[in-house]
Amino acid sequence: MAKRLYVITRDLHLYVSLFLSPFILLFAISVFFLLHGRSGREQAVQSAVISDLPAVDGLERLSGRDQVNGVRPLLDRLGVSGEINFIRRIPKDHRLVIAVMIPGRETTVDLNLPQRSATISQRNTGLADALNYLHKMPGPHNVNIRGNSFYMGAWRWLADASAYGVLFLTFSGVYLWTALRAERRVGIVLLSTGAISFFGLIYAISR
Amino acid sequence: MPSLAESTFRIWNRRGHYYLGLYFLFFLWLFAFTGLLLNHSWQFAEFWPNRKVSKFERKVEVPPADTDVDRARALMLRLGIDGEIDWTTARADSSVLEFRVNRPGRNISVTAYPEQSRAIVEQTDINTWGILRVLHTFTGKRVGDERNDRDWFLSTLWVISRDAVSIGIVIMVFGGLYMWYGLPAKRNLGAAALVLGSVACAMLVFGLRWM
Repeated sequence: MAKRLYVITRDLHLYVSLFLSPFILLFAISVFFLLHGRSGREQAVQSAVISDLPAVDGLERLSGRDQVNGVRPLLDRLGVSGEINFIRRIPKDHRLVIAVMIPGRETTVDLNLPQRSATISQRNTGLADALNYLHKMPGPHNVNIRGNSFYMGAWRWLADASAYGVLFLTFSGVYLWTALRAERRVGIVLLSTGAISFFGLIYAISR
Repeated sequence: MPSLAESTFRIWNRRGHYYLGLYFLFFLWLFAFTGLLLNHSWQFAEFWPNRKVSKFERKVEVPPADTDVDRARALMLRLGIDGEIDWTTARADSSVLEFRVNRPGRNISVTAYPEQSRAIVEQTDINTWGILRVLHTFTGKRVGDERNDRDWFLSTLWVISRDAVSIGIVIMVFGGLYMWYGLPAKRNLGAAALVLGSVACAMLVFGLRWM
């Protein structure tokens, strides 16, 4: 029974880690950009003005998810797809500025409602920015509108799977290590020094 | 028959996988768990509504110094506060020294009037859930923030620890891939899992831009 449990745990540890390894690498590598990198947004902006848009009533009065759902058909018509990051309303000009993100590309749609026109600016922000963006998403901000695109819904699921997967890999890894008698002593020393440095640092930084 | 060098590498790769995993175990738990906290607004982990704010004013000499950072550090020493200095606003009034001091669990806003030898300190303390969340995001310096530098020893140490964890993870992932490749019986199913994960990840990182 114990042997069977060991074999099942070992296989699960292997296959779960293989599936998650690209995501784990994404999170690990993006940490360097987040901690030390500069924002990679220097690339040239491409702009286009589109006019004769269909009239849409009441968009300005909407808020939150309703507003996101309201502007989505307009964005589809403009050929802009992605996660709506936020919508900023400029009441005196009756304009809506919509930031639409996909990893590595930021599109800003400046919607002029009375003139029924839109200025679309797009910039490629690069690989580092794509990794940073995915690392931080879905995140704690704009919760009521987050996940308004298909890819963000999928990423939300995969980011959760990565976190739960890492927890599973650590627990199963500890279990697999305990079965290796020859490695037990060194392992305990490393586990203890890791715990001391972890709790010591947290105590010092947050006391 | 593997060579001696290959056998030695295989043994130490396996050991490195265990050793790194065990050393960084608590860090991995912290970052995985707080990642979930940040992505879900779980009610039990709320911290901002429960924050404690206190404010006090103190007579204190603001010592002269060459730079604003040195001046702020000297003032912090006299006020008995410590943390990462965050310059939030441009100084419109040169007679006022205004800055924030951040550390996981505590944000302090300092407004000092050197000519009047007084300082107003507003301190916000958050609970353990808040501290856990901040530990995940605390970098001492935001990406693209040219105004601030990492100037607190402990935030630098925290950043170095996070770098070390990330390097450890990368080594563990590649070491794990090498160990898997040494198991011919697991190669096909393992390759399927790896390809599935890689395609999904590549779609998000690169693919969406090209679609």
